[in-house]
Amino acid sequence: MAQQANLGELLSMLDSPVLSVRDEVTAVFKENLSSDRGPMLVNTLVDYYLETKSQPVLHILTTLQEPHDKHLLDKMNDCMGRAASRLPALSLLGHVIRLQPPWKHKLSQAPLLPSLLKCLKVDTDVIVLTTGVLVLITMLPMIPQSGKQHLHDFFDIFGRLSSWCLKKPGHVTEIYLVHLHASVYALFHRLYGMYPCNFVSFLRSHYSMKENLDTFEEVVRPMMEHVRIHPELVTGSKDHELDPRRWKRLETHDVVIECAKISLDPAEASYEDGDSVSPQVSARFPHRAADVAASPYVDMQNSCGSATSTPYSSSRLTLFSTPGQPPQTLSPPSTRLLTEPPQATLWSPSMVCGMTTPPTSPGNVPPDLSHPYSKVFGTTGGKGTPLGTPATSPPPAPLCHSDDYVHISLRQATATPPKKEEKTDSARPCLHRQHHLPNDRGLEELPGSKGSVPLSDLPGFLGDLASEEDSIEKAKEEAAISKELSEITTAGTEPLVPRGGFDSPFYRDSLPGCPRKNHSAASGAQGASVNPEPLNSSLDKLGPDTPKQAFTPIDPPCGGANQSPAGSRERQTALETDILTPSPCKIPPQRGVGFGSGQPPPYDHLFEVALPKTAHHFVSKKTKELLKKAKGNAEEDCPPSTSPAEVLDRLIQQGADAHSKELNKLSLPSKSVDWTHFGGSPPSDEIRTLRNQLLLLHNQLLYERFKRQQHALRNRRLLRRVIRAAALEEHNAAMKDQLKLQEKDIQIWKVSMQKEQARYSQLQEQRDTMVTQLHSQIRQLQHDREEFYNQSQELQTKLEDCRNMIAELRLELKKANSKVCHTELLLSQVSQKLSNSESVQQQMEFLNRQLLVLGEVNELYLEQLQSKHSDTTKEVEMMKAACRKELEKNRSHVLQQNQRLDTSQKRILELESHLAKKDHLLLEQKKYLEDVKVQARGQLQAAESRYEAQKRITQVFELEILDLYGRLEKDGLLKKLEEEKAEAAEAAEER
Amino acid sequence: MTEDSQRNFRSVYYEKVGFRGVEEKKSLEILLKDDRLDIEKLCTFSQRFPLPSMYRALVWKVLLGILPPHHESHAQVMMYRKEQYCDVLHALKVVRFVSDATPQVEVYLHMYQLESGKLPRSPSFPLEPEDEVFLAIAKAVEEMVEDSVDCYWIIRCFVNQLNNKYRESLPQLPKAFEQYLNLEDSRLLSHLKTCSALSRLPYDLWFKRCFAGCLPESSLQRVWDKVVSGSCKILVFVAVEILLTFKIKVMALNSAEKITKFLENIPQDSSDAIVSKAIDLWHKHCGTPVHSA
Repeated sequence: MAQQANLGELLSMLDSPVLSVRDEVTAVFKENLSSDRGPMLVNTLVDYYLETKSQPVLHILTTLQEPHDKHLLDKMNDCMGRAASRLPALSLLGHVIRLQPPWKHKLSQAPLLPSLLKCLKVDTDVIVLTTGVLVLITMLPMIPQSGKQHLHDFFDIFGRLSSWCLKKPGHVTEIYLVHLHASVYALFHRLYGMYPCNFVSFLRSHYSMKENLDTFEEVVRPMMEHVRIHPELVTGSKDHELDPRRWKRLETHDVVIECAKISLDPAEASYEDGDSVSPQVSARFPHRAADVAASPYVDMQNSCGSATSTPYSSSRLTLFSTPGQPPQTLSPPSTRLLTEPPQATLWSPSMVCGMTTPPTSPGNVPPDLSHPYSKVFGTTGGKGTPLGTPATSPPPAPLCHSDDYVHISLRQATATPPKKEEKTDSARPCLHRQHHLPNDRGLEELPGSKGSVPLSDLPGFLGDLASEEDSIEKAKEEAAISKELSEITTAGTEPLVPRGGFDSPFYRDSLPGCPRKNHSAASGAQGASVNPEPLNSSLDKLGPDTPKQAFTPIDPPCGGANQSPAGSRERQTALETDILTPSPCKIPPQRGVGFGSGQPPPYDHLFEVALPKTAHHFVSKKTKELLKKAKGNAEEDCPPSTSPAEVLDRLIQQGADAHSKELNKLSLPSKSVDWTHFGGSPPSDEIRTLRNQLLLLHNQLLYERFKRQQHALRNRRLLRRVIRAAALEEHNAAMKDQLKLQEKDIQIWKVSMQKEQARYSQLQEQRDTMVTQLHSQIRQLQHDREEFYNQSQELQTKLEDCRNMIAELRLELKKANSKVCHTELLLSQVSQKLSNSESVQQQMEFLNRQLLVLGEVNELYLEQLQSKHSDTTKEVEMMKAACRKELEKNRSHVLQQNQRLDTSQKRILELESHLAKKDHLLLEQKKYLEDVKVQARGQLQAAESRYEAQKRITQVFELEILDLYGRLEKDGLLKKLEEEKAEAAEAAEER
Repeated sequence: MTEDSQRNFRSVYYEKVGFRGVEEKKSLEILLKDDRLDIEKLCTFSQRFPLPSMYRALVWKVLLGILPPHHESHAQVMMYRKEQYCDVLHALKVVRFVSDATPQVEVYLHMYQLESGKLPRSPSFPLEPEDEVFLAIAKAVEEMVEDSVDCYWIIRCFVNQLNNKYRESLPQLPKAFEQYLNLEDSRLLSHLKTCSALSRLPYDLWFKRCFAGCLPESSLQRVWDKVVSGSCKILVFVAVEILLTFKIKVMALNSAEKITKFLENIPQDSSDAIVSKAIDLWHKHCGTPVHSA
């Protein structure tokens, strides 16, 4: 509880007027949020915001971090359910998503989206519907992939609301319908831009029904006149549109630009990648193209709409220099720029005009207009005249024509005076030119023009070019103009206006009428229109930018408030105080407000700021006329071709004019006082209507601002590309220089090479002569050598012959020697044979002699032998007989021996059997012995037992005897005792 | 060979046809003819076949160790036994333990007591339970054997055998009885158990006295043949057979006392059949002892 009380206190402290306290409390809340993960704090904050619309709380809520997003979405979903809190919840949702929180992708899954869609389908309150549609349109590019599920919801909403625009159910005020129509128009653009095929098929099916035909004719068809054919209709398909891969490549601002591309409405259109624009130029300066296209109108408008044309001269000058080029370049003898011809083709205003204002009838064009602008002015003039000139605008409609022309023609002339007047202005043209030239020429001009810029400086230069081109010029202008204006005009609002050359036609018209409102509007417009580029540049490059310097002295007074959410309130007070004391100091706070916090200044002006810069003269004229008529009739007068946005613009303009007129009368600074003084007691219904209108405008404004931010984002990205491309260009140039240097080097090297070649050929010749000389010498020497060789050959053959002869001789010598040896050998053999034969002869002789002797002996022996021959046979027979006898004897002996052997063997057998018998006998004896033993043992046992028995008997007897003895002894003892007793008695008797 | 030729050639077939005991006498005579008597063969024979009454006393004396296996020493040993008997009797008479009026059974008892050294101080001393057993056995043997010496010795040795050889196995018999009764008739056993009569059966009468006084002597002889030859298990089967025979009556009795009382005094008429069946039962459960020879 204490905590809650504390919370309430803190919340109330949030709104405290003291800045430091507020900052502290905000810091405390953020700390709590970072530490606490529960939904309680977020819920309390949301409730508090819905209750009080406290800006600091809004700031805290819009900067919530990741874990709290769910609670916030849930809470908002809750609030959406209740009819009472639906509108504030929607506006809170709008605030939150416009800041593109990091968790925006979760939106598609959050239950909030279906409930938002349901609300849009069901709700009948126009304010809620308008706000809701704007929120939805803002959300769509963030969650393109969610189209898959909710596509038909979107289309249904579109169908419902578009029919609303026509049928005006119930009591809806017409004014609201204008807003609703504008938002439906935006929704149409978004849906057509994002899902063309699906959307077209939806349109086809939905409006083919008869009951919807009117709506189509009245509402949808005029919208369709403001769009080109979407390329996706040709190349894409229904499924491809819903493919998440298609959307992955695109960021939110890419989607927004994609949608803007297909628009033909000058308020919406973007020609970034226009079909007719050369890609390089368009890539670099898409917005410039739009500006250029738009600026002429503005100027015209300015000149015709404002009575105080003097302060604008300077601004017009700056603007003129840019838009003025196209017409000039259209004519061949261009005086200003050498490089204009290509651009002229790119930026033909007539082309732009033709596209932006298709419905204007060419018949309106005045025939006397030879100027390139003729078409534009013709249409504007034609438009303006029938509507009539408002009373408040000093110049009448026809005058406007002429005035425009004058201005155009005089532009060159009028450009000079301010320069002369101020020293700062003197520098401006050159600066201005310097910056514009490269820009307008586009990328292709840059390399060429860079010749004058030193290479080293180029990157910086390019960067500056990209970032500072506009800011420098504008800042300088602003400074100058504000000074000038402060001198010239007494109206406090004027000095702030001058720069808003593009987009301030309206408030310039109404400037005299309502100083306060215009002031804020102007400042807001300025903030919105001026700052995008300078701020972007300063964001991209925080260098010593001139715009920064121009603004810095002014910043300090409310520098802190610039980014703080509390700025709005301070700004309000500041505004009120500063209204009558115009000074350049007011610019920064408003700028800060316009950018930093998103806190809106008075709504209608910001609304316009968000709108494109062109074609406002239509609206202004319309409004002037309409001032006379009822407010509700505003759109009735609109030709069918005007876009709902324009109608809304006109309505706003009209309201603003009326308001300023009334205020003028009163000349009161404060709004509250204003009201009370205005009508004394204004009808409550009126007030409510106005309040709602205010709310609607606010919503629209916020939506437009969101779009602008997306554009700014894209600009930043494109600028980054420009810088990169420039850097690459420079790099290329440097490379080329190097290449040239290297080529020179190559030349030098070639010359020296030729010299060297000449020298080389000379040396070659010398060498050749030497070579020939040497060759001849060699040949001579070779010849000599051959001769010598031949001689030596001959000598060698001779030597060979000699050697052969020697060998032959040696061979012969060998043969002779061998022959001698052989003969010697033969000789010795023969001599030996001779001696042998001699000895043999001797032996033969000896043997012969012996033979003779032996023959004689033989004869002698033969004689002997024949005499001794008879006794030998008898002896042999005797011997034989003896042998036989001996053999007989031996045989008988052997026989005897055998017999003996047999007998002894028999004996052995006998003995063995005897032995066996004896063994057997022995066994038997043993057995018998055993038997006997057993027998004896049996007898012995019997005897033993008998003995035992005897022993027992004797024991018994002994026992008996002992017993008897015992008895005997006992008896004896008794007897003795008796005897003793008797003796004793006897003795006693004796005594 | 000679022994075989003396035997009837038909003897082989008698048993097959169912006649029993025809050739037993002859084979026993052959056995008894051996000079050194083979005690083992005699044991086997007496277990397989009923002993002829004329040889019973001899066989018992041999088996109980009263006579040695040799015929030659039989006369001498028998003389010793007789002298011992006379001496002991004389001694008892001398110490006036026994008189002529004393019954023969008591005389045997006192003689046994004297020989085992347990003779009481006076014959009027109360009898011990073992003395009761001795008296019952002695009464049965007195009926079987005429000669008083033989009678005394058979009683003495039989009792000694019971006290020594069967000292371990006799207490196991009630358990075996329960087991075999369960095998034969479990219902009867459960009946006994339910009546809690199982533990109160007359085990003393049956196993310690070996049915002495329970069965008539003519039947008792056949039972004791087996006991003497070394198998006391026969007692169990006799008891089982008694219960099986009187099953109906036993089943009709519900109290343990009645059962015990009835069993202590069983009718004597069917005793022969009981013993024959018991021996068959015994052979059936323990197998026929094989003639080892």
